[in-house]
Amino acid sequence: MRGRTLLGIAIAVVIGGYLTTRFVSHGYFYFASYVILQYIMLATAWNILGGYTGYVNFGSAAFFAVGAYTSIVLIKAFKAYFIFLALAGGLASALLGLGIGYLTLRLRGVFFSIATLALAVVLQTAVINWEYVGGARGIYILRARSMPFFSSYTEFLFFMMVLFAVLSVAAAWWIENSWVGRGLAAIRDNEEAAECMGVPTLRLKLFATTVSGFIMGLAGAPFPYYVTYVEPSSAFNLDYAVNSLAMPMIGGTTSWLGPLVGAVLLGAAQQIATVTISSAWNLLIVGVVLVAFVILAPEGIVGLALRLARRKGG
Amino acid sequence: MKRTGRFWVRGWTLAAWLAAASLLSGAWAPAARAAEKPIKIGFGMALTGGLAANGKAALLSMQIWADDVNAKGGLLGRKVELVVYDDQTKPAAVPAIYTKLLDVDKVNFVVSGYGTNLIAPAMPIVMERGLVFMGLFGLAVNEKFQYKSYFQIMPSGPSPMTDWSRGFFDIAAKQTPKPTTVALVGADAEFAINAVSGARQNAKKMGLKIVYDKTYPPATVDYTPIVRAIKATNPDVVFVGSYPPDSVGMVQAAHEVGLKPKLFGGGMVGLQYAAFLARLGPKLNGIVNYDFWVPEPTLNFPGIEAFLKKYQAKAAQAGVDPLGHYLPPWSYAYLEVLGQAITATKSTDQKKVADYIRSHEFTTIVGKVKFGSNGEWATSRVLQVQFQGIKDSKIDQFHKPGKRIVVYPEAWKSGNIQYPYSSAK
Repeated sequence: MRGRTLLGIAIAVVIGGYLTTRFVSHGYFYFASYVILQYIMLATAWNILGGYTGYVNFGSAAFFAVGAYTSIVLIKAFKAYFIFLALAGGLASALLGLGIGYLTLRLRGVFFSIATLALAVVLQTAVINWEYVGGARGIYILRARSMPFFSSYTEFLFFMMVLFAVLSVAAAWWIENSWVGRGLAAIRDNEEAAECMGVPTLRLKLFATTVSGFIMGLAGAPFPYYVTYVEPSSAFNLDYAVNSLAMPMIGGTTSWLGPLVGAVLLGAAQQIATVTISSAWNLLIVGVVLVAFVILAPEGIVGLALRLARRKGG
Repeated sequence: MKRTGRFWVRGWTLAAWLAAASLLSGAWAPAARAAEKPIKIGFGMALTGGLAANGKAALLSMQIWADDVNAKGGLLGRKVELVVYDDQTKPAAVPAIYTKLLDVDKVNFVVSGYGTNLIAPAMPIVMERGLVFMGLFGLAVNEKFQYKSYFQIMPSGPSPMTDWSRGFFDIAAKQTPKPTTVALVGADAEFAINAVSGARQNAKKMGLKIVYDKTYPPATVDYTPIVRAIKATNPDVVFVGSYPPDSVGMVQAAHEVGLKPKLFGGGMVGLQYAAFLARLGPKLNGIVNYDFWVPEPTLNFPGIEAFLKKYQAKAAQAGVDPLGHYLPPWSYAYLEVLGQAITATKSTDQKKVADYIRSHEFTTIVGKVKFGSNGEWATSRVLQVQFQGIKDSKIDQFHKPGKRIVVYPEAWKSGNIQYPYSSAK
């Protein structure tokens, strides 16, 4: 029943997303929402591995950029349709996740984190030296002026991001509520005990890295059309790594709702700060909020809300 | 209670008087021109992040322009107001900033932020709405977009990639003994790669033999191995395409290693900033590098001195480049062009203003400006400047002419080149 209610909400959000494009004509709304939706996807993806399984990924930017650059290759080589770009971007990142997971997840502890950190540097260097995708000088990707059923390409991008974000959150919800999620939670709490109880730890961890990679790639695939000029330092920007880690930490890492809440709040705060404070202060937002939450509410907003509700109830 | 009530009554009476007074003054004001809405010019600028030092200097000079214009009564009798957001040197922040400016703040005009990476993401938004768009130091941005209402104030010229270093190689061709070999080196990043690829074409055209052609990662710390490798090939000409930190590293390494080509420099960003001029001091002697404006008598355009005086007075407080010779005159000038077009057309209509800019010549503090069909300058005015006679690291010497001699193009030449490089060193 709960699942059905959520399915209803998900469908309503997607339909709402489309209807929004019919009634709202503000370009700013779409661009600002795009960024927040992108962070919802990144935070959700990060949380599947970092929150559920307890393996911290410092290289979200690399997965994001692989999605973006896969798109660029396909646009340049085949002028491929958007949906193929998105799927291919996701798959390329999923494969990357699987590969990096396979190489490092047999070991426990920080090895995976170190590998993801190195991955971002290695891939960025590779892209800098790959002339076909623009190399260090960057590449221009022109978006179409219009799109059938939408009054502009920006609206189309927004709608697709709504759809992808809903699918990502739904995937996280499914994982959390299935035997997979319970297996991942067992790994997070005590990997040896889980292994002894018959939890297929390596396979589950690989599943988590693959799904997480797929969603991050999916978030990165539309990026070339959003920004129209892609160069390595913007695609591999540290912001993606920091935000996709900070947002679930602030929202709460134990449920699918945490990254969603964290991404909406922090993403919106950053967007507002950009157009209001206009100074170096807005760079501090993520850091200060993150430190405050780690100290005051280590379970994030969702954890804090549950604790308060429990206290009130009992 | 009673006292409170009396206070309220008095408050209302006062409010009524005030309202009446304001109504009366409104009625008597002659058509209230000053109350007309200001002309808003919006842009994103790098006020934090990698390009912040230049972005802040640009913003300061733009504010000086707005003050100058407003002191003369504004544009079309309306005050000018700048609406600026910090793009944090992040291209991903640009689309939201420009749509906010246009949809929420309802600015009349938008101009670009500083640098190719931050201009390009605004282009599709500007194009969708058919807006006039003045660009500030983007290299060949319009090559892909081919947008006819885009105008770039940086004087790269109609073929930005090759025009950038053409002067450097023209100088080389005129010298005796004529150089025969060239080393090309540049950072692995947007501008440097473009500068080196233009230099490569120019070198080939001139018939120079390329003996070294490599890039280095932007985060390089030690430049001596690179310079040693260049020295081993014994080139006559060394062309460098570099960003500020690497420009300093390259110059220092060249001195350490004893690199002595006949011509050295080309596309080194940073050698125009006060901080680096002071840091390198006499080590700069002999280097021939690009620039856009230096305080030489041939470039003493009307208004530039007055502008620099105002800028330099405010620079220390704003914490920006104290000389302000590199970017600030241009960020003033690109608004000057826009302002002059608005005044001449007596309109804020985008198409009318764009058409006017496309078809007219403008007199600005950086000289006469005329745009070509692709929105770049109709003819290139990339200067090649040689550092001469620098004896110490004091910044004052750079305020005056004589230290950065314009050796190219002929039209703006202010002195002769000291050749080869080692004789000026």
